[in-house]
Amino acid sequence: MNLLPSPSGEARYESPDSVRAVFLAGDAGARLLAGPPASAGAEGLSSHLGRLGAPSALAGADLVEVVAASGLKGRGGAGFPVAQKLNTVRVSAGKPLVVVNCSESEPASAKDRTLVRLRPHLVLDGAAVAARAVGASQAVLYLHRGDLRSARALDAAVAERKQAAIADPDFSVAWAPPRYVAGESSAIVRFLEGGEAKPRFGTRAAICGVNCAPTAIHNVETLAHLALVDRMGPDEFRRCGTPGFSGSVLVTLAGAVQHPGLVAELVAPVPASELLGVAGISSPPQALLVGGYGGAWIDGRSAWDSHIWPDALLQGGFSFGCGLVGVFPNGACGVRETSGILSYLASESAGQCGPCRYGLDHLANSLARLAKGEAGRRELKALERKAASIVGRGACSHPDGAVSLLRHCLEVFEADIRSHSQRRPCRAAHSDSVFPLPSQIEQTWR
Amino acid sequence: MALKEVLLVDPERCRGHGICCLLAPELIDLDDWGYAQVLKSQPLSSDELKSASRAVAGCPARALSLVQEGQKDQRN
Ligand SMILES: Cc1cc2nc3c(=O)[nH]c(=O)nc-3n(C[C@H](O)[C@H](O)[C@H](O)COP(=O)(O)O)c2cc1C
Ligand code: SF4
Ligand code: SF4
Repeated sequence: MNLLPSPSGEARYESPDSVRAVFLAGDAGARLLAGPPASAGAEGLSSHLGRLGAPSALAGADLVEVVAASGLKGRGGAGFPVAQKLNTVRVSAGKPLVVVNCSESEPASAKDRTLVRLRPHLVLDGAAVAARAVGASQAVLYLHRGDLRSARALDAAVAERKQAAIADPDFSVAWAPPRYVAGESSAIVRFLEGGEAKPRFGTRAAICGVNCAPTAIHNVETLAHLALVDRMGPDEFRRCGTPGFSGSVLVTLAGAVQHPGLVAELVAPVPASELLGVAGISSPPQALLVGGYGGAWIDGRSAWDSHIWPDALLQGGFSFGCGLVGVFPNGACGVRETSGILSYLASESAGQCGPCRYGLDHLANSLARLAKGEAGRRELKALERKAASIVGRGACSHPDGAVSLLRHCLEVFEADIRSHSQRRPCRAAHSDSVFPLPSQIEQTWR
Repeated sequence: MALKEVLLVDPERCRGHGICCLLAPELIDLDDWGYAQVLKSQPLSSDELKSASRAVAGCPARALSLVQEGQKDQRN
């Protein structure tokens, strides 16, 4: 495999280069980020094998059984049980395929690329374990075009593994357009079939994925955990995390923190106050943005003492999503921030489904008008009704994420909403947005 | 007993012709942007099934389908 240069030729925009990582909470110690410090860069094969030893010899149903016992859930956003997906791929008709989803579309998230750049062998081991479980001989590394740093780390790692004659599937690379929805599983399938990286209605990749081959698409962090499950077995794996969500989790700290993009590994639920302490925050901020741009706002004061952990957040009605924990400072306007994020999400709609194409734009514009003090209570009511009307009506869950963020905005920033709807414009109307809102660099979907 | 069926709109195909809404007004409405939205809680009764089938057959974009309950929303 030769990853460089990318088929598209040039790298006009490289994703941020600094990778920083810490781990937090508990005596168990870090797992994914154990080993050399972040400043050492990508860990080489001998260090990796020296620390972790060789993978198991399990395959097929036996391996799936071990994964099921580990309780491992997907880290790509939905928390889907990994064993269930692997088993569906394993038993479905056709020549199976593994896809390593390195695309990390969430603009403020950095955990996937940090993992790939620091621990490429752990990710590739995970892909090899998935391939053994489903009986695949090929694995595709699905990367955003322009993410050359991740590509270099993977390229060097694959070369090392070839030299050491490690039993791997055939790795190949797919350069996807760097769009928000291009990382969604049915969009990946469509792109790998030679089409556009846009979601497709009703695709079940595990049964009928790329050219209808059963396709196991996994997030890179999921695969890194899978590599650990394969080595340590289910009981040891479950020593980290909670009964409902086993293993450690990666989170990205973003927004008004010392180093946006700092990645932390949590080995147990931690209070938000402790996690944010690492990022230099010592008192409750106005709000937290959790899960991603399709996630939720949580009021800063109530979030402060609550625990950051997937199932803990889920119980509170929040999704853990991609593990984003964003700090929204006092003084900033949450209504304006949300309208900016909604415009971004609207501009990233694949434009295929009416409710998403027209609905998201409408919600974003309407909220922007509200933030400017140009809309009253009637428009606010209409906004709520229209938001409700688009839920569940896209080919993918992109519009649902946008509505989730909007609903939490209306709740958490209720006082600001009320004042805006009495036509009082925003105090912070001219300040920059707190979270990154990438402008569309590439219009293409291929 | 007949299998329980639900009416689905393929949002990628729906072009907002609104014909379905004329054929099965009790089941389908158009949203603010003119796209089909299923109104009824599902699964459908046998009467509703008849009118749903008419809408499925009448949609020029072939955006409507009847599928067995439990077959939807499984993306993984
Ligand atoms: C709009 C949208 C964007 C997504 N983007 C990503 C992404 O960038 N990276 C990712 O791993 N999963 C992404 N997902 C989730 C994938 O569809 C898929 O569920 C995931 O990669 C499966 O991995 P897991 O089972 O290991 O969690 C996205 C989903 C949606 C709806
Ligand atoms: S819901 Fe939106 S992003 Fe998803 S497929 Fe439809 S148009 Fe594209
Ligand atoms: S007739 Fe078909 S295309 Fe037209 S609105 Fe109904 S479902 Fe959509």
